[in-house]
Amino acid sequence: MRKFENLSYLPLRPKGSTFDRRIGPMDWVIFAILLFYAIIIIYPFYNALLISISPESVYLNTPFLLYPKEITWDNYATVFSSASLWSGVRVTLLLLFAGTAYQLFFTVITGYALSRNKWVGKNFVMNMILVTMFFGGGLIPYYYLIKNLGLYNQIWVMIIPGAIDTYNMLLMRNYFASLPPDLEESAKIDGANDIQIFFKVYLPMALPMLATIGLFFAVGNWNSWYNAMLFIENPSYKPLQLVLREMITTSSSSMETLGQKVVYSEGLTMASVFFSIVPMMMFYPFLQKFFVKGLVVGAIKG
Amino acid sequence: MNKKLIIDRNSPLNDFGGRVKKSRYLILMIIPAIIYYLVFCYAPMYGILIAFKRYLPKQGIMGSPWAEMSGFGNFYTIFQDPYFWKVLRNTVIIGVCKIFISFIAALLVALLINEIRLRFFKKTVQTIVTFPHFLSWVIVGGLVANIFGTSGIINDVIASTGAERVQFLANGKVFLSLIFGSDVWKEAGWSSIIYLATMAGISPELYEAADIDGATRLQKIWHITLPAIKPTAILLLILSVGGILSAGFDQIFNMYNPLVYDVADIIDTYIYRSTFREWQPAEIGAAVGLFKSVVSFILVIIVDRIAKLSGERGII
Repeated sequence: MRKFENLSYLPLRPKGSTFDRRIGPMDWVIFAILLFYAIIIIYPFYNALLISISPESVYLNTPFLLYPKEITWDNYATVFSSASLWSGVRVTLLLLFAGTAYQLFFTVITGYALSRNKWVGKNFVMNMILVTMFFGGGLIPYYYLIKNLGLYNQIWVMIIPGAIDTYNMLLMRNYFASLPPDLEESAKIDGANDIQIFFKVYLPMALPMLATIGLFFAVGNWNSWYNAMLFIENPSYKPLQLVLREMITTSSSSMETLGQKVVYSEGLTMASVFFSIVPMMMFYPFLQKFFVKGLVVGAIKG
Repeated sequence: MNKKLIIDRNSPLNDFGGRVKKSRYLILMIIPAIIYYLVFCYAPMYGILIAFKRYLPKQGIMGSPWAEMSGFGNFYTIFQDPYFWKVLRNTVIIGVCKIFISFIAALLVALLINEIRLRFFKKTVQTIVTFPHFLSWVIVGGLVANIFGTSGIINDVIASTGAERVQFLANGKVFLSLIFGSDVWKEAGWSSIIYLATMAGISPELYEAADIDGATRLQKIWHITLPAIKPTAILLLILSVGGILSAGFDQIFNMYNPLVYDVADIIDTYIYRSTFREWQPAEIGAAVGLFKSVVSFILVIIVDRIAKLSGERGII
C-alpha cells in the first residue's frame, strides 16, 4: 500500500526534494563532513591501540604511526599481570553488580511510591526530594558527613551514598504513572496490598524501563572514581578508573610538570586504557539501544 | 447535623489516622527514600553551618566557635582573596562557553545526520559518534594527553616539519580550546540524539509542501526543522544554566595541571584542591561551596521565570 502511494507521487517530486532519491553535490559534502567527524572520533582509539602494541623504540622513533610496523604484546602482558589493575577490576565489578542492584532497588521503589495516587504526605516527600535537585550542601559538608558516618576508607562508601538518583527516579515515576491505573484497582479488589501490587503487577510491566535505568547505573558504576578518590586510602579498594587515573597522571607525556613517583611508559598506559575500554565496546551495541530509548522517554515525559 | 461534616472534606486532618492506615504500604516503601534524602542531602545542608564557623572537626559543627564578624568572617576572607575572583571568572567563562559551544555542536551534528538518507551510513555514524559519551573523563583525559602531549602525534607532525614541539597542555589558551574541543568530541554525538528524536517527529508533509513551493535545503532547515526543535532546545538550555558554576569538575580535574591553573582552575577544583591537597581550613572551602550553591540556585530561579514569562515551559 505504502509502496503504491510512493510510486504515485514519483512524477510529482520536484528536483532536490526530501523525497527525491537522487544524490546531489550537497549530499556528498554532508557525507564527507560526517565521515571526517567519525574518523576524528575513532582516531584516538586507533592511536592508543597502535601505541599499546608497538615496541617503545618503534613508537619513539617513528614520527607518526599509521599502521603497526612491529607488533608486541609486552604491554598487554604487563597489564594482565598487574596486581593493581586486577584489584581495580575486582572492586569495579563489585560496584557494577552490588552497586547497580542497590541503586536500582531504591530508585525503583521510590519512583513507584511517588507515582501512586494520593497518600498521606506524598506532596511533602515530593517537595523534599525536588528541593535537593536545585540546592545542596556542597563538597565540604558532604566530606565530613561521610567521615562522621564512619564510611571513610570503607568499600561501601562507593555504593551507599548513591542509593537514589533523583533524575532517574523521576523518570521511573513518570513511567509508572503512565501505566493503566485500573490494574491497581482490580488487584486491590482481589485483596492485594501496595507492595504486592508493585512486585506482581507493575514491576513486570516496567522491565524495559528498568533495564534502561539499570544500564545507566551500570555505566556510571563502571566509570566511577570520584568518591573513591575522596574517601578511599586503601589501595586494594581502589576501583579501576582510579587506578587508571593514577597511571595516567604519572605517565610520561600527560604531566610533564609532575615528574615524581613511578613513570609508566606511554605504551603501558595506553594498553591499560584500552583494557578498560574494551568491555564498554563489547556491551556498547546493547547499551546504545536502551539508552537512546531512555533518553527519548525522559525528554518527552520529563 | 453530624459533627464530622463540619470538618472540611479536603482538610489534611480529615480522618488522618484512617488515611495513614490506608496508605501504610506506600509509606513503608517511601521510608528508605526519606532516610536517604535526610542523611545524604539534608545533613550536608545542615553542614553548611561549617561555612559560618571556625571549624574544628573534633568538636563537631555545633561545638566549633563561630567565625569572626558574627559568622561571616569566612565570606569576608574569600571575597578579599583575588584568587577566588579569578577562579569565579574562570568558572563562568568555561561554563558559559561550554554551554553554547556544545549546544551548537550538538545541533549541527543532528542537522547533518538528519540530512543523510542512506540508512546504513546514518546508523553507523550515529553509533560511532555516541560512543565516547560512555567513557569516563579519566580515559578521555588520558587520550587527550596522549595526542596533544609533547610526545603525542600532533607534536610528532609539528616536529617532522622541523618546528619546535609545543606544550599544548601547558599553554592556557590552547588548553581552554582543548577543554571545549574534548567536550564536543565526547558529548556532541550523544546530545544530538535528543534533537534527532524531535526531528524524526516532524511531519513529512511539511517538507513535501515546502518542496512543492520550491524551497531549498537550507530554507527547509530554517523554516521547518529549527522551529520544530526550538522548544526542546530552549528547555535544554534552561536546564544547563543551573550547571554553569559546575563547569565540569570531572573533565577539568582529569585534564589540567599546575601550569594552567591560571585559566582552568574552577570553583569545584579549587574547593577540592585547596581543602584536600593544600589543607586550607575546611570552612573556607565550605564558604566557597555555599556561594556556588546559592548563586546556582538563584540562576535557576531567574531562568525559570524568564522562560515562563516568554511562554515556554518552565522547569520548576
